[in-house]
Amino acid sequence: MTQPMLVAERVSKAFGDVRALEDVSLTIGEGEIVGLVGSNGAGKTTLLRLLAGVYRPTAGSLSLGDGTDVAEGRRQLGVVPEATGLYSRLTAWENIRYHSRLHGVPDDVAWTRTQHYARLLDMLPYLGRHTKGFSRGMRQKTALLRALAHHPSMLLLDEPTAGLDVTSARTVKQLVRSLGDEGKTVIYSTHQLAEAEQVCTRIIIIHNGEVRADGTPEELLALTQTASLEEAYVALSSDRARSVDEAEKPLSAWSRRWRGLFTPRTPTSTEVSEDE
Amino acid sequence: MSERRRRVTTIAKKELVEFVRDWRTIVAILVIPVLMFPVLFILFPLLLQAEAEELDSLVVRVELQANDPPSMLLHALEQPGIDLVVVELPALENLTDATSDVERLRAGQLDALLRVRANNSTWEYATLHLSTSEQSNEARARVLSAVADWERNETTTRIESAGLNANNTLNPVVWNGSIADADAASKGEQAGLALSLFIPLVLAVWTFSSAIQPSIDMTAGERERGTLEALLGLPCTRMELLLGKWLAVATITAAGVLLQIAGLIFAIGYLATSDIIAVPSLSMAVVLLLCVAVLLFAITVVAIELALAMRSHSVKEAGSVLGPAVLLILFPALFTQVINLDNIEMFWFAIPVVNVLLALRELLLNRVVLSHVAVWFLSSALYATLAAVYAARQFKREDIVTTLS
Repeated sequence: MTQPMLVAERVSKAFGDVRALEDVSLTIGEGEIVGLVGSNGAGKTTLLRLLAGVYRPTAGSLSLGDGTDVAEGRRQLGVVPEATGLYSRLTAWENIRYHSRLHGVPDDVAWTRTQHYARLLDMLPYLGRHTKGFSRGMRQKTALLRALAHHPSMLLLDEPTAGLDVTSARTVKQLVRSLGDEGKTVIYSTHQLAEAEQVCTRIIIIHNGEVRADGTPEELLALTQTASLEEAYVALSSDRARSVDEAEKPLSAWSRRWRGLFTPRTPTSTEVSEDE
Repeated sequence: MSERRRRVTTIAKKELVEFVRDWRTIVAILVIPVLMFPVLFILFPLLLQAEAEELDSLVVRVELQANDPPSMLLHALEQPGIDLVVVELPALENLTDATSDVERLRAGQLDALLRVRANNSTWEYATLHLSTSEQSNEARARVLSAVADWERNETTTRIESAGLNANNTLNPVVWNGSIADADAASKGEQAGLALSLFIPLVLAVWTFSSAIQPSIDMTAGERERGTLEALLGLPCTRMELLLGKWLAVATITAAGVLLQIAGLIFAIGYLATSDIIAVPSLSMAVVLLLCVAVLLFAITVVAIELALAMRSHSVKEAGSVLGPAVLLILFPALFTQVINLDNIEMFWFAIPVVNVLLALRELLLNRVVLSHVAVWFLSSALYATLAAVYAARQFKREDIVTTLS
């Protein structure tokens, strides 16, 4: 393996009674493009938020390759959350510049880098526009430019192609591959196995908060004795996926009772069949 | 500039830029306060005056029902603004008995009706009118004024016919001299007293309400739009984030309050030229203490609003919490208006919200009582600190990253 960029040792994260992540250990090297693959609620976003320093682990430790705690080493990270997080009353460039300034990067340096990547993403003509009218693809590309403007060594991308049209998704995937070629480490969450296979050099399958497999596509096939990644995924996540949003606080007893007063009772399957 | 301060100002600047770009918010928080007092003190009285003049120019239709109307009453009713018709009084038990006259009033055929009859040595009278009609109310007012003139003349005639002096008999005790000269308070102090009855209330309510929208937008709004998560992944601490947002909301609130005060000064200046109210006489120390009191109040209010809004998952939820919270300011503010400031107990100056409102009232009377100042200053500083600590705790919560969407 290349020089380690990120080390997670026995990391767990709990929200109240819900164990969102359980005993995750990973070492991610420089230049790797790692795909985090899992169903909704598997723990991908929780892991990315832990890596971004937004959440603190309940147990275990997370550090960058040089031993710095991730929360302290955020300057090395570029983050694209699933919601993109753009301010609609600011232009694309203002959004990018705002984050760059908080990273301590001078405006002229950020502008030069932004121009470079904006050319690759066909976003140059739109940098001066307010993001309010941007399509999902343009928002995603702007968020990518924002994450790259301070020259991070590692990128955390939460479902960067979700909701994008084919052309935009292709452009984003090409950029991610070229970032890997530049030596940047990319951690890429998706629930599209085919996409992970196209883009990533390594795939981590997360299911119900646990790492079920970690390796190259070939290694996963060998591990599961299957012919395709889809079959491998099914074999590794055969137990029923949980349906809870791990970070959502459960309703209090009072709220549950109050809401129940205004919620009609859903008929049981027996009642429905009797009516029929 | 230190890294920390640079990040805080970057956050605050961005929040202000976003705020300025929304013209609706600018109108609500900056334009309305600057116009509020001029409209209240200048435009509203002008409007009332114009309405009064319009009523004065009206000719109202009045019917006098009397069998033998006294000449002094007829004389009092014969004026340019009254179109008088005199008819016979029908047989009635009470003069206010409803007859077809009521329908005529409701149909607008006449504006007021005066019934008069003699009862031995006295006169009985009643007026009928339609209280929902401005014109009918005006007609009634003119009729009652005419009746009052008639009564005065009748009284004078009766007293003089008994061989007495009517003026001495009716006014045996009279004031001598100028009422204004008898007040030891200067005109400026009197103006301060008048303003102290509503300025603290308006300032407090406006400080609280003008901070609501930006507080919600910068916290629950960010959370709902998903912009907060991207921000939390940046190399700035949550305290820096809170400070930046607090600075932005405080700037907006301060701008709103200052503009409101500017509008008030303009309105008072305008009224002072017409001798309606004098300019309050306040020493420089009082002006400084007023600013300190408002500043401490603003620090507390903005921190609490940011904290409550940050606890909320959505703009709607934050609005439903902060909207009714205005009452927490309004009720103490109304209550504070009736507290007697002379010999006031010290503990009042330590009660949250009430302390600042009382301080403003006392200062507007140009009074600086050091013990009071010490208590409200220390208690306000304590509440501001507690509010800041509470806000900081809310900003450090992990679940602020989760959204309803």
